[in-house]
Amino acid sequence: MSDRPIKKVISASDIEIDRTELDMSISQFAVKNGGYYSKAFSKIHEKTSFLSLTFNVWACLLGPFWSASRALWGMFWSFLILEIVAWVQIGQGLWGNPGAEYLARAATQQNRADELMQRAKDATETVDIERFTKLSENIAKAAEISLERAAAAQAEASTILFGGLIILFIVKTIQGLYADYAYEKQYTRWRINPDQIESGMRRSNITLGIVLVLAIAPLVIFKFTSTQEIPQFLSEFPENAVSTLFLGSDNGTLFAAIAGFMERQIDAAAIAGGGVFDGIVRSVRTVLDALTLALNGSPWPVVMIVIVVTAWRSAGPRVAIFTAAALCYIAFLGYWEIAMETVALAGAAVILCVVIGIPLGVWFGKSMRAFRVAEPILDLMQTLPAFVYLIPIIAFFGTGNPPGILATIIFGMPPVIRLTALGMRGVPESIKEASVAFGASRWQLLKDVELPLALPSIMAGVNQTILMCLSMVVIISLIGGGGLGREILEALQYAAKGPGLLGGFAILFVAMVIDRIVQGAFKGSNKSL
Amino acid sequence: MADTVVKLKDVWKIFGAQTDEAMQAIHTHKLSKADVLSKFNCVVGVQNASFEVGRGEIFCIMGLSGSGKSTLVRHVNRLIEPTSGTIEILGKNISNLTNKELRQLRSQQIGMVFQHMALMPHRSVRDNVAYPLEIRKVAKSKRWAVSDHVLKMVDLAGFEDRLPKELSGGMQQRVGIARALASDPDILLMDEPFSALDPLIRIQLQDQFKSLVADLNKTTLFITHDLDEAIRIGHRIAIMKDGVVVQIGTPEEIVMHPADNYVREFVQGISKLKLVKAHSIMEPIESFNGSKPKAPRAEHDVDLDHLIDLAVKSSEAIIITDDGKDVGVVSKSTLLQGIQGGKDE
Repeated sequence: MSDRPIKKVISASDIEIDRTELDMSISQFAVKNGGYYSKAFSKIHEKTSFLSLTFNVWACLLGPFWSASRALWGMFWSFLILEIVAWVQIGQGLWGNPGAEYLARAATQQNRADELMQRAKDATETVDIERFTKLSENIAKAAEISLERAAAAQAEASTILFGGLIILFIVKTIQGLYADYAYEKQYTRWRINPDQIESGMRRSNITLGIVLVLAIAPLVIFKFTSTQEIPQFLSEFPENAVSTLFLGSDNGTLFAAIAGFMERQIDAAAIAGGGVFDGIVRSVRTVLDALTLALNGSPWPVVMIVIVVTAWRSAGPRVAIFTAAALCYIAFLGYWEIAMETVALAGAAVILCVVIGIPLGVWFGKSMRAFRVAEPILDLMQTLPAFVYLIPIIAFFGTGNPPGILATIIFGMPPVIRLTALGMRGVPESIKEASVAFGASRWQLLKDVELPLALPSIMAGVNQTILMCLSMVVIISLIGGGGLGREILEALQYAAKGPGLLGGFAILFVAMVIDRIVQGAFKGSNKSL
Repeated sequence: MADTVVKLKDVWKIFGAQTDEAMQAIHTHKLSKADVLSKFNCVVGVQNASFEVGRGEIFCIMGLSGSGKSTLVRHVNRLIEPTSGTIEILGKNISNLTNKELRQLRSQQIGMVFQHMALMPHRSVRDNVAYPLEIRKVAKSKRWAVSDHVLKMVDLAGFEDRLPKELSGGMQQRVGIARALASDPDILLMDEPFSALDPLIRIQLQDQFKSLVADLNKTTLFITHDLDEAIRIGHRIAIMKDGVVVQIGTPEEIVMHPADNYVREFVQGISKLKLVKAHSIMEPIESFNGSKPKAPRAEHDVDLDHLIDLAVKSSEAIIITDDGKDVGVVSKSTLLQGIQGGKDE
């Protein structure tokens, strides 16, 4: 092929098509029936309209078995479902016996009528004879109606059967038409990635297809068409039987056993590690006390002035005015002390998050292996509903503000860890190499290159952590945390609309003020880069 | 070479998991690169490289991308550890240095310039240049003085307090060179320093760099993928292909006597006028059959450009002299062949 001179002009209208190479590759892909698929694919390649008019008889007849044998699993599942729908209809039409209920009723009614008729015959008094005859006639009429209804239902059954057959026919036809098209797509993917995309017919695929069809189709069809009662083990998961299997009879359920086991373990751990947990609570309380002292111990005008001036310095006059207004709202409504408690709670959590999170983030940024281990834990910390880990926290640390801060840390720490690690990985390799080439030690590399260059990312992480901690501060009121969260919890308990809304806005303003100040500081530090 | 500064001997670098086994197999069974890749899933980065670089010399390592030149030069300051072979700097084997000694070597004896400048974006130009000294814990006043001095040498006085991103590419690379010079190293490693710059600035910087290095008498390993650049800058050139050093020689040797077809293809497009000297194309004086007094004369080390000027003015062949003695002759046909370059060799 290569020795043919290459023509100068190449345009779609007069280019020569040589399919030998393509056909060979298609046969290699299809293995069985290569000739058929070369022809079918060439038809698909030739077509200019939407529909390709190739019809794969095997796909039409064998349906899901064909698509399984050719490893077209998407097609396998969709058409398996469609075929089952069709077969359920057919089954219902064939042996589902939809009029059975009416037939049975008609039979009992007829019996009753016969019985009454007999009593009428046996009776001696005319009154009784008339009464029984009338009753018997009435019931016989009812039986006739039931029979009619049964006939109607059975007539409908043939409609259902017919509908099922039509659906099956359509599904089969579509499979026949679609099969080559789908297989050609598979072929194109196989060309790109011959190691990953399966080709040819594999015994394992055929077996898997047969097993899947046999496991799914008969049960489903049985469930939807059977006139008898379905065995209970099919309609309901036999959890009691499973529990018995694992635990022996009369030993309760698996759920109770595992839950009880966990409870005992947690209690034991709480007792065993009591000293450690107390120590943690004490150190958290130290941080919290220091912050509370600074915010609530100092005279309120001092704190207010410091906050407003900080806002001014970091984010400009507009934010300062907004901050002053927000502080007025909080102070005028009598929330000042509680709001400062909330800030102290969130602040303590943020400080601990940053102190623990940044070194962890640096480590995870440098060691891919550590990060891979930590990532699922970070995901867990962020996705696990807060209510879930409030329970073990109560078990280990009791109730009140310090355990609340610990819960807040669990929720708020992942962003600062993640973004620190991200920032560390984003430091250009070339700059690190230059630093090492000039003799920098690992510490110098970290201090002079990596941390400064990762700083924007780290600051973004800190900002996110602050906001997450503030949102968590409301939830920790459930385990005895104080501050604005408790106000809102109380309002919720008594359905007090007014106090709830006012408290909510107070939290909103606290969050906005902190966010604006931090973002302002962040932008200011970014400008120098 | 009177004074060897950098010496590489039998350096191999193999990337991959089973480097030692691969190395063994290469030595015992003489495996090819493809075999090593398929058998051990290891890539041979540098294959048996040996060379010496003398004091004050500019040694260019030239090769296309992927030829292993950057890998090779990173062995000199052990940014990359060799799989086998020895590297000596000023007669000292650096493979058994402790971490501390290695950092000392890097910060005091070797300066490096990178293709992508690799300046620290958050530091001023002055602090970037002073960084090697900062690593060595030199006092701030001293390192600022040094930094200002070096920046003056690369004509960047007045930009000390700018941030790198405020400078153009060429200026940034001069900051990179200043930083490499700041710790007054014996050796400069230049990793394609001018590749990312546009051609005019590149030539300007090449000239500036050449005179600067000559003034300071620095030993330089200069990596480039551009043979023109190698010839313009280098005293000697090593040509690399697929991890192998194919040929080492002066620019003239490489152009006149390429070691194989690969090198020949490279040097084909190179202008020989300023490069090739009369003595390398002249024929023996015995073949001269014109009138000796009339013939123009030229010293043996003039370049072809000069010979062309003489040939245009006279109809006779040119007599080449060495120390006043006639040693050879260059006829017009010899000259034309010389310009065309070693074709039938």
